[in-house]
Amino acid sequence: MTKKIDEIINNARRQNRKILSEYESAGLMTSVGISMAKGILAQNLTDVQKAAKEIGYPVVLKVCSPEVSHKTEKGLVAVNLPNEADLEVAFQKISEASPDKTGGFLVQEMVKGERELVLGMIRDPQFGPCVMFGLGGIFTEIMGDVTFRPAPLSETDAREMIGEIKGGKILDAVRGMPAVDIDSLIQCLLAVSRIGLECEEIQAIDVNPLVVQGSRPVGVDALVLLR
Amino acid sequence: MSQQLDLFFKPRSVAIIGASSVRHKAGNDVIRNILANDYSGEIYPVNPKGGEIMGKKVYPAISDLPHGIDLAVIILPAKLNPQAVRDCAAKGIKTMVIAAGGFSEVDKEGELLQAELERAVRETGVRALGPNTSGHVSTPCNFTSSFFPVGRIPRGHISYIAQTGNFATHTMRYISTFENFGVARVVGLGNKIDIDESDVLEYYSSDPETEAIFVYLESLKSPRRFIEIARETTRHKPIIMLKGGATASGSRAAGAHTAALASDDRIIEGALKKAGIVRIYKYSHLILAAKGLSAMPLPRGNRISFLAPSGAMLVTMSDMCQKFWNLEVPTLEEKSRRRLQEISPSYIRMRNPVDIWPSAMVHGMDFAYQEGMEAVLADSNIDAVVSILLINDETGVPDLQRIVDVARKYPQKPVYVAFSAEKKHMEPAKEFLETRGVPTFPLIEDPFEVLSILVQCRKYMDRH
Repeated sequence: MTKKIDEIINNARRQNRKILSEYESAGLMTSVGISMAKGILAQNLTDVQKAAKEIGYPVVLKVCSPEVSHKTEKGLVAVNLPNEADLEVAFQKISEASPDKTGGFLVQEMVKGERELVLGMIRDPQFGPCVMFGLGGIFTEIMGDVTFRPAPLSETDAREMIGEIKGGKILDAVRGMPAVDIDSLIQCLLAVSRIGLECEEIQAIDVNPLVVQGSRPVGVDALVLLR
Repeated sequence: MSQQLDLFFKPRSVAIIGASSVRHKAGNDVIRNILANDYSGEIYPVNPKGGEIMGKKVYPAISDLPHGIDLAVIILPAKLNPQAVRDCAAKGIKTMVIAAGGFSEVDKEGELLQAELERAVRETGVRALGPNTSGHVSTPCNFTSSFFPVGRIPRGHISYIAQTGNFATHTMRYISTFENFGVARVVGLGNKIDIDESDVLEYYSSDPETEAIFVYLESLKSPRRFIEIARETTRHKPIIMLKGGATASGSRAAGAHTAALASDDRIIEGALKKAGIVRIYKYSHLILAAKGLSAMPLPRGNRISFLAPSGAMLVTMSDMCQKFWNLEVPTLEEKSRRRLQEISPSYIRMRNPVDIWPSAMVHGMDFAYQEGMEAVLADSNIDAVVSILLINDETGVPDLQRIVDVARKYPQKPVYVAFSAEKKHMEPAKEFLETRGVPTFPLIEDPFEVLSILVQCRKYMDRH
């Protein structure tokens, strides 16, 4: 597809990995035009602090390893860090708790938004690449409020998907929050549909959560699995 | 492809391999069915005993048949089928219906036999339906390969694709004896070694005899192709589908949320929406929605009115319209509302839905139903009307001819009827109304559920 995607996938293949790290996954999403939270990979405290300065406080600090999943539950994520002192404390805690530090640390822009969506792709044995859209974050599994479509998606397909989730009202202007920019959201769905069709090496994608910042969807975490 | 399937649906001649002179045997019923439907092509029964069956000369072997027969219906024990396919192909027969069961649907041995049959089909290049199929129906050609005593099948514009033997058999019998609509084509897919749902759908899609397609499937042989053909078809013809079979929840690539949530059912749901196929969940809707579509046009929208002789029916049906059926029961235009008020006692305030009881008490059933239906049918806010008729000895049966007349006056708007009160009047009323183009439904929810399905068909047609 793009050179950047090939590079990311080839690198994982060389290391015999089928799971891309969060940093790699986010890079892949960015390269197809999905806005992701700004992130910088760092290996030690000095670099972490430098990265935080560049991104601007508050920041998020996460361990970045393809081997480590369920980072939040394991205490490997610290969010909304307001300054260098707090960042250092968080760095020490996460370093101690992490089973694998070889992947480094990801310093990330703190994306604020109360509405969390999920965007995904799965290669179905019958229907081939299918795009998923629904409620994200902690509600993803609990509510299961998601909908699928086989790729390729037309703009109408994407619009219908967005319109048919049960919790669709949260996309409207509610509780003082602006309505979600539906056209941007459609572009995100179409981008995932394209990856599914063009990148046969990818088995599954999660962008979860896809946080609505103001009215714009921004991916905060991503996971890409290879075949 | 379309031309090849033409031989199935418009055969000029047919060989019955395994024809039988014994009443109630499949090889006998199939000929009886063909004759009952007034098939005008040649029939060539084949049986080693020779002689005659129902006046037709019996050929002792496939090799004795003349060249150039269009279709073979093979009704032989499973293990004889691969050779029969080769023998028929050697006689220049290009299409076959393979009825026998006893293949992959039973056991390991059956699987091997099916593989052998598949080889015979592939190597000879013939097109085959089945095995394990109850056959097919094509009323424009007065033909059926069904071996179940179906009798004469009424002609119409509904076509079925069914991954079950019951459509070309007892469901046809039910439709032809209990309902007043007809079919164009019916195919029982069987084990799909060659012809599958996508082939048949493609044929129906461009078939001028087929105006709406009903599908029952348990599995899809070529899912992406099916969805692509359906997406094109639903631009101009409704497709309504019941998907049978347990749905496994996906655990295909644990680790990703998307994978964990990707159950077969969710994916199918999405695929059908993409294709514009309206998914139904009740078996009976395969028949009731077909009835509604046969008699009346698709509703233009989801705004309905209905008349009932009971407050409880008005309230509960309105609730269901909103909650489950995606049907609107809108406010009427003032002129229609005024008309309803005129025909009713002044103590009741008339609106949509229409309480027809007070008017019937004052003016009688005939007048109340006719005028009430006319008022709402003339209303530009209304796309379809359901009339629940009160029929019994004491209050009488509303004049059914008047209901037919008022429905005919508004041919763009579906008018559906259901009944309340006395059973003995319902069947004659059903017969009277349906043979004059007004469909009736057994339970009062049914017409609404059918409208709900057809409104969705309309939406898919309009979205392109």
